[in-house]
Amino acid sequence: MSSQQQILHFPLGGTISLAPNAWQIWSGQDEGANSSLPNLEHGTHQVLLPFTWWIANHQNPDVLAKAKNGQISVWFATDDDVLKHADLIEQGKQYWPLVAAHFPIFRDGRSFSTAAILRDRLGWTKEIRMIGDVLIDQLLQGARVGFDSFELRQDQDIVVALKQFDLFTVTTQNSWRSKRTLINT
Amino acid sequence: MYKYDHIDQTLVDQRVAQFRDQVVRRLNGTLAEEEFRPLRLQNGLYHQRHAYMLRVAIPYGLLSSNQLRTLANISEKYDRGYGHFTTRQNIQFNWITLEDTPNILADLAKVEMHAIQTSGNCIRNITSDAFAGVAGDEYVDTRPVCELLRQWSTLHPEFAHLPRKFKFAVNGAKEDRTVLLCHDVGIELKKNNDVNNVELTHELTADIYAGGGMGRTPILGSLIKQGLPWQLLPSYLTALLRVYNRFGRRDNIYKARIKILVKALGPEEFARQVKGEWLHIQNSDDNFTKAEWQRVAQHFTKPAYQTLPALSNEQVIVKANEADTIAFARWLERNVKPHQVPGYASVILSLKPHGTVAPGDATTAQMNAIAELADHYSFGELRVTHEQNLVLADVEQAKLFELWQAAKQQHVALPNVGLLTDIIACPGGDFCSLANAKSLPIAKAIQERFDDLDYLFDLGDISLNISGCINSCGHHHVGNIGVLGVDKDGEEWYQITLGGEQGNDAAIGKVIGPSFYADEIPDVITNVINTYVSNRGEDESFIQAYRRLGVTPFKEAAYKNKAEKSLGATR
Repeated sequence: MSSQQQILHFPLGGTISLAPNAWQIWSGQDEGANSSLPNLEHGTHQVLLPFTWWIANHQNPDVLAKAKNGQISVWFATDDDVLKHADLIEQGKQYWPLVAAHFPIFRDGRSFSTAAILRDRLGWTKEIRMIGDVLIDQLLQGARVGFDSFELRQDQDIVVALKQFDLFTVTTQNSWRSKRTLINT
Repeated sequence: MYKYDHIDQTLVDQRVAQFRDQVVRRLNGTLAEEEFRPLRLQNGLYHQRHAYMLRVAIPYGLLSSNQLRTLANISEKYDRGYGHFTTRQNIQFNWITLEDTPNILADLAKVEMHAIQTSGNCIRNITSDAFAGVAGDEYVDTRPVCELLRQWSTLHPEFAHLPRKFKFAVNGAKEDRTVLLCHDVGIELKKNNDVNNVELTHELTADIYAGGGMGRTPILGSLIKQGLPWQLLPSYLTALLRVYNRFGRRDNIYKARIKILVKALGPEEFARQVKGEWLHIQNSDDNFTKAEWQRVAQHFTKPAYQTLPALSNEQVIVKANEADTIAFARWLERNVKPHQVPGYASVILSLKPHGTVAPGDATTAQMNAIAELADHYSFGELRVTHEQNLVLADVEQAKLFELWQAAKQQHVALPNVGLLTDIIACPGGDFCSLANAKSLPIAKAIQERFDDLDYLFDLGDISLNISGCINSCGHHHVGNIGVLGVDKDGEEWYQITLGGEQGNDAAIGKVIGPSFYADEIPDVITNVINTYVSNRGEDESFIQAYRRLGVTPFKEAAYKNKAEKSLGATR
C-alpha cells in the first residue's frame, strides 16, 4: 500500500487545488490475483485495486459490497486493455468514484492513451487519477488527455507543479480539456 | 510561405518559456539529468561527444532568407561558425551550451522557427518534397497539408511519450523525393481530377503507408489505407498512433519502432486495428476544416512570377562567357531542375564540395551569402533537400548564369548533384556519441578519390550514403552504395551495402559481406565502380546495371584486394 499525502485536483472547467489523499493504492502484487483485499475496517482510507485483480474478484459478494459502499475502486496498469474490458468499466460507472492509470516510469506514455480512451470512447466522466512515476513535466500532458487528479511522486515540488497547468494559453489540437484555439474572424 | 498567426507565435514563445524553466531546474539540480533528458530531446537538444547539439526544425524544408540569416547568426554567436543540414530537413549546431539554449530558442521564435519535437520519442519534424509547389511532376502541392499536420502534431499530449521516435513524410509528386517508404508513416497526397483550388479541398485524398524505417531492421512501409479524404487525417492518424502507443514494444529499444509492430501483426491486421479505432472517432471535430485549409493555404500562393519566355538550355548557355561555357553547361545539366512556370527553373546549391567540408555543412558566411542570393534570385525563399543541399526554387532562367557566378564564389556551385560525390552523410563519430565509427573522413576520402568531374559525369546518377552507426541517419540503406560504420572490438570498420534506392523504386541495399578498414574504402568503391563501367550497357545507370547483373560481380570486385593480399600472405 502506498499513497501521497496530497493530491492535486484540476477538474474540467475548474481550478487547481490541493486536497488530502483519501485513496491508497494497493499494488496487489505481493500475492497475485488470488490475494485477498487489505483490511479496510481499521483505516479511514479507501483503496484503489489493480484492474486485473478486479477482473478476477469482482463477482465476490464482499468485494462488490465494498465497491457499492464506495470503499474500493481500480487502477489500470499500462498493459491493461481498457477497450477489451469495456463492459466491466461500464458496470464500474455505477460504483467507482474514480479510476486511476499508472505510469511505471515517467517516459512510458501508454496511460495517456488509456485516459484518452476512457474519456473519448468509454464515456467515463468521473475522476481519472494519474499515479506512479508522475513528474512535474508530465502534468500538462496528463491534464490535457483526460486526467483530472494527480498523485505526484514524493520528491516533486508542489509549488513548481502548480505552475505547470497554465504555461500555454493556446493549443493546436483538440484534447479532452479544450478544443484547439481558433482565429477569431 | 507560411506566416505564423498569433496562435503559432504564442505557442512557440510559451514553449521557449517552458524550456527556460526546465533548464533552470536542471542547472539548479532540482531536475535530474535522467528526467531532463526526454525534455531536452523533445526540444532538439542532444548531448554529444564534445558539447550539446541543437537540432532546429525546417518544417517540410521551407526556409526564408531572413530565417537563414538567423541560423547564420546562431552559428556565429553560439556555435563555431557553421551549421549542418540534415536528411530530414533540419539544421544542427554542434557546439552548444545548455545555458545558451533558451536564448537560441528565443532567437528562433522571433523568426517563426523552433526545435520542437526534432528529437525524442514523439512525432518528429514533418518532411516533404523540397520542390513542393514548383516541381514539374507534382500532382498536389503538399505544403498546406504539411503545415496543418505540423500544427496538429505540435505538443500533442497523447503522443508525447511514444515507444520510439515517429517520422512522417508527405509526397505529392510523381517522383518520390521524400524517401516516403522509409518513414513510420508516409502520406501520399493525390487528387482525383484536374480541379481548381477551391474544389481541390474536396478532391484531395491521402494514401497512408505505415511501418517503414531504416535503423537496425530496414523495412519499406506498407499501404494500409487508400483514398482517405485529407480532412480526416487527424482522426485517422490519432487512431494509428493510438494503436502504436498502446501496443508498440517498450521492452527493447531496438524493437520499439512501429515497423516492428506492423511486421509482427502483419500490415492487414495492423490496418484492421487502426480502422477499428478510427471507426469510433472518424467523425470527431479533431478533423481539419475547410476554413483551416484556407487559413493555411493562403500562404502558399505562387510568388509574383513574371510572364517570361521559356528558354532552351542553348539559349541559357549563350549568356555565359566562352571560357565558362563547359562548366556552366555542366551545372545546368546537374544542378538546375525544370519548373512549372515558363521562364523559371529551380537551382540546387551543392553543399558537397570535394573533400573540404562535411556533406551538408554551411558556414556562417555561406549562409548569409546564400540568403542574399535567395533575396536576389528567388523571392527570398529556400528549400532544404533530403540530400542535404539547398534549393533556390524560383529562379529566372535568364539570370541563371549570373546566379552561377555568384554561387561559385561561395563554393556552392559544384555540378555534382546526383553524382557519386553528392554523398549523404551523418556527422558520425567525430561528433555523435551514438556513432560506432566516423563518417566524415570516409566521405572526404571518396570525394578526393573521385575528384574528376569528367569521370563523375560519365558515371552518371549514383547515390552513395554513409551512416556512422546502425541508427542510419546517413540513410545508407537506400544508397545505391551504402557505407555503414560498425564497431568490432573497439575498432572502426565499414560494411558495404549495394542496390539500395530511394524514390519510386525504393529498395533496401544488401550487405555484400565482411566489413573493411577505413583506408580500404576508396579502393573498394573504385573496384565496384570499375565493375559497373566495364559491364554497363548503353545509357544504363549504376542501379540498373546492378539489378541486371546481381551482386556477384560487384562483390567479387569489392573483395579483390583482400583476396590478393591474403594470397600474398600465404606465399
